[in-house]
Amino acid sequence: MESIGMAVTGFGTIFLFLGGLGILRLPDVYNRLQAGTKCTTLGAICTIIGVGLMEPQWFWKTLLIALFILLTNPISNHAIGRASKNSGVPLCDKSVIDKTEDFKK
Amino acid sequence: MKKIISFVLLVIIFIGIYFAVSQIPYGKDKMSVSKHYLNNGVKENGASNIVTSVVLNYRGFDTLGELTILFIGAIGLGVVLFGFETKGKDIKSPSLILNAGSTFLFPFILLFGIYIFIHGHLSPGGGFQGGAVIASGFLISYLGYPKKRISEKGIHIVESLGGTLFILIGLLGLLLGGYFLSNILPKGTVNTLVSGGIIPLLYVLIGIKVGAELAGIIYKLME
Repeated sequence: MESIGMAVTGFGTIFLFLGGLGILRLPDVYNRLQAGTKCTTLGAICTIIGVGLMEPQWFWKTLLIALFILLTNPISNHAIGRASKNSGVPLCDKSVIDKTEDFKK
Repeated sequence: MKKIISFVLLVIIFIGIYFAVSQIPYGKDKMSVSKHYLNNGVKENGASNIVTSVVLNYRGFDTLGELTILFIGAIGLGVVLFGFETKGKDIKSPSLILNAGSTFLFPFILLFGIYIFIHGHLSPGGGFQGGAVIASGFLISYLGYPKKRISEKGIHIVESLGGTLFILIGLLGLLLGGYFLSNILPKGTVNTLVSGGIIPLLYVLIGIKVGAELAGIIYKLME
């Protein structure tokens, strides 16, 4: 059980690292948001549940924490992205597609 | 020239700090007061969290001062922002995701904040932290529904009630126990929810007061 937990935690840390790298490397706000949220959501969930697998008496608690991360992190990401689009932060030059106009009524 | 002056200043400061610190013998604890807290804190207050028993019992008066500072800060913010017009018209309505998310999360955040300040004498956390969590719950509900207002009067009433009851408990301690904020209630068994005498009661009041104050500050700043 402990080795499974360690593997899951390691998997999560890889994703956290990739998220940090993405924030440094990607060109504009929206891409960085993607790196900063998708990667950290999966990374944090994996690390926390991995700890729960290592210590079985904490498992349900860690599952609950992971659930709340899963709820809050994408919402905050969405809010930041929408706010920056509304206040006119430009997209990167190499962006291919921008579908936000389709959703405006 | 500027760089040279700043370098000289840096050297002087470094030498001063070095001489001040080098006088202190390394690794010896001379703090008899903190030793007393560590050794007798659980016995005297019945709160298993030493930090809480120091903050609320040995230094309860200090905590009252901190509350006053926060209160004055909120008042000062109100004074500074008083002349500004409130412009709530150009706020764009939030998206469905944020809307639904804030509706769903708000009670859980409140619950979490209340948990933090009720368990302040058992686990890390306490009134100030729990109050901050509660205020963040109000912030998320504001982000979800910018048009909706909580009544400012209600905030003031809750805030004043918290502060007044804190002082009343302190005065009751002065009356019955001999000094301000003395622990008049029975201690109870350590590590249970009802223990530590007046400590959980005070923390609940602090949590309510801090939460109301910070929520008021958030609403004032957002307008």
